[in-house]
Amino acid sequence: MTTTAQPQRRRRRTGSRAERRFALLFLLPAVALVLTFRIVPLLWGFGLSLTDATGLQQGQFIGLGNYAEMAGDPNFRAAMRNTVILLLTLPVWVLLPMILASLIHLGVPGGRLYRSVYFFPAVLSSVIVGSIFNVVLRYDGALNALLGFAGLPAIDWLGSGSTALLSLLTVQLWATFGMSLLIFLAGLSTLSSEMIEAARLDGARLWQVWGYVILPAMRPIIEFVAVVTTIGVLTNMFGLIYVLTAGGPGTATTLPEFLIWLEQGQMGRPGYAAALSMVLFALMAGIAWIQIRIMSRNAGL
Amino acid sequence: MTFKALLIATTACLGGQAMAQTLTIWDWKSGDPVAASYFDAVREAFAAAHPGVTLNFVNQPIDQYYTLLGTALASGQGPDVFLLNGGAQARARMDALTDLTPQAEGLVGLTEFQDADGAVRALPISIQGFVVYYNKDRYSEAGLDPEAPPQTWAELASACEAINAAGAVPCFALGNKEGYGAEFFLSSVGASMLSEQAQQQFATGDLTWSSPEIAAILQAWVDTQGMGWYQPGANSTAKFMDEYEMFMRGDAANTIGLLSDVAHWKQFEDFLGAESIGAFRHPAPEMIADHAMIPVAGGIGYGVNAAGGNVDLATALVETLASAGPIQVFVNDAGVVPANTAVDTSGLASPTAGTILGWLDSSGVTMAHANVTAEELAEWHRQSQLLLNGETTVEAAAARMDDVQKAAHGG
Repeated sequence: MTTTAQPQRRRRRTGSRAERRFALLFLLPAVALVLTFRIVPLLWGFGLSLTDATGLQQGQFIGLGNYAEMAGDPNFRAAMRNTVILLLTLPVWVLLPMILASLIHLGVPGGRLYRSVYFFPAVLSSVIVGSIFNVVLRYDGALNALLGFAGLPAIDWLGSGSTALLSLLTVQLWATFGMSLLIFLAGLSTLSSEMIEAARLDGARLWQVWGYVILPAMRPIIEFVAVVTTIGVLTNMFGLIYVLTAGGPGTATTLPEFLIWLEQGQMGRPGYAAALSMVLFALMAGIAWIQIRIMSRNAGL
Repeated sequence: MTFKALLIATTACLGGQAMAQTLTIWDWKSGDPVAASYFDAVREAFAAAHPGVTLNFVNQPIDQYYTLLGTALASGQGPDVFLLNGGAQARARMDALTDLTPQAEGLVGLTEFQDADGAVRALPISIQGFVVYYNKDRYSEAGLDPEAPPQTWAELASACEAINAAGAVPCFALGNKEGYGAEFFLSSVGASMLSEQAQQQFATGDLTWSSPEIAAILQAWVDTQGMGWYQPGANSTAKFMDEYEMFMRGDAANTIGLLSDVAHWKQFEDFLGAESIGAFRHPAPEMIADHAMIPVAGGIGYGVNAAGGNVDLATALVETLASAGPIQVFVNDAGVVPANTAVDTSGLASPTAGTILGWLDSSGVTMAHANVTAEELAEWHRQSQLLLNGETTVEAAAARMDDVQKAAHGG
């Protein structure tokens, strides 16, 4: 009402303010959602991590007590050691689907069949995958029976400290590489076929086509898969651990998310579990940040 | 306005009334087919005394039960009545439960459900404990007398040697994937090796894991593996039910089983036949009495959520759940050992059940693992697996257990 009474010049300025307000109105739903479901829980979790809350009591403020306890907790250290081992296997998680996707893209016979077969496990839930591999990997399971036929000694794949984590990672790789493969195939489909054809006409061998044409062009996709896979293995292996090893033997397959669940559910210590979650969050944010930095640096190439 | 207010008031009243007439009960038993007749008897008895009340039994998965319960209680969404294991699990949740001491008359096995002041916080329905069940056919095949099971550690060791020599099956079925096998072993061997005073001190944290008494149990755990008592791959075998299925298939000569609920004489007899099953008390290397003891505890019991909407009605329901009438049905149909002393057990035809019931008075002692803290149990799960794999030593494992014990008791 008052704005209409204002002189022309003032009105234009208020008009732009109204526009800004209008824009805010459009932003509001998104901002409210992010605040309610992302930022507030994060801050709440951080607040919880500074208390000694149990499942039944609110808990006292203990400052960084939980974080100090973590430093001396052998189970936390074991979970971190397992995380490092897991991160060291990252090249396999990226290279395997990339090589297979390239081969399918280059037109190996039956490529379409391979594509479907590789992707198939990605639609199974981790509990189902775990149950399947429980049958395969248990001591009296299918794999050891196969080894027996070949005259080789049986191995307690899931119950021995030296093989449990690698068995678990292999199962997770089997279950999820189909998704990465699909991402690589999508990336490859944007690759100009003339380039590959030109390289071939110039007499390039398969590995040369791969190394000099496909690999450089696929760089952004590789980085994307690396980021997504890292986050995936650090946050999505709970189901498999739960079904296959329950974190054991000892702490051989205890990853941070499983430890968080143990402390929250079994030990009834949400405060300590929240502190562990904060560390896992910081770890993931750090890894993602490094990877995005590499990505943006390469974007300038 | 008046109409609106009236409408709101009516809705509130109706809503409140509807809430009051439904009791939600959480457990992991009500979906069990063998317990169905017991729950029918409970519904019938409760409906007679409190007509119009709906009982909503929610059968939760046992392996996630305490996680779900903890989350529900913490958010104020807990059920009116819930089932608990006696000992550490019950003690960890006593703050959430009402005092049921006046309702506990005539019940035994109450210790595991009492708080620090002696108030009973849940009413046990069964007695729980461990004995060794053995397959008489496997004993005969190994040249052992099936009617004279081992009474001492030396006899058990030589029986296992004979069974191993026969080569058909391992001496014991063992499932230690979640560490439960080691829990059962600790309590079974501890029952015969620890005095009541030592048990008390172990529970309060005054007797450490590296003390000679407890370290001897850890050593026995390692020794049994060294003597080849167990099948390979025990650390990747689930106790419930892979271990017991192995025993019920006849693929092992012995197993440490329960007295009530599952993996007990009735279930084994149903599978292998009553004539093939026997039980003995787990011997230990150095026994304090002239015979082995069995660890006994108040098995499982229902408690009332103090924050629930209708505590009085819930208390009446828990009383019904523990009362002699329905429990008698439970004993007859599911073969549990009852906590209610008014229940008649003379009708149980099984000779094994008779043997076990006879031990309750003379040989029943504290169940060691049920009295240690949840933190110690979780760490014992881990250390027991490492010990079984030979990936740690008894000294190192005991030292780690000491740290956890000290921290758990606020040291």
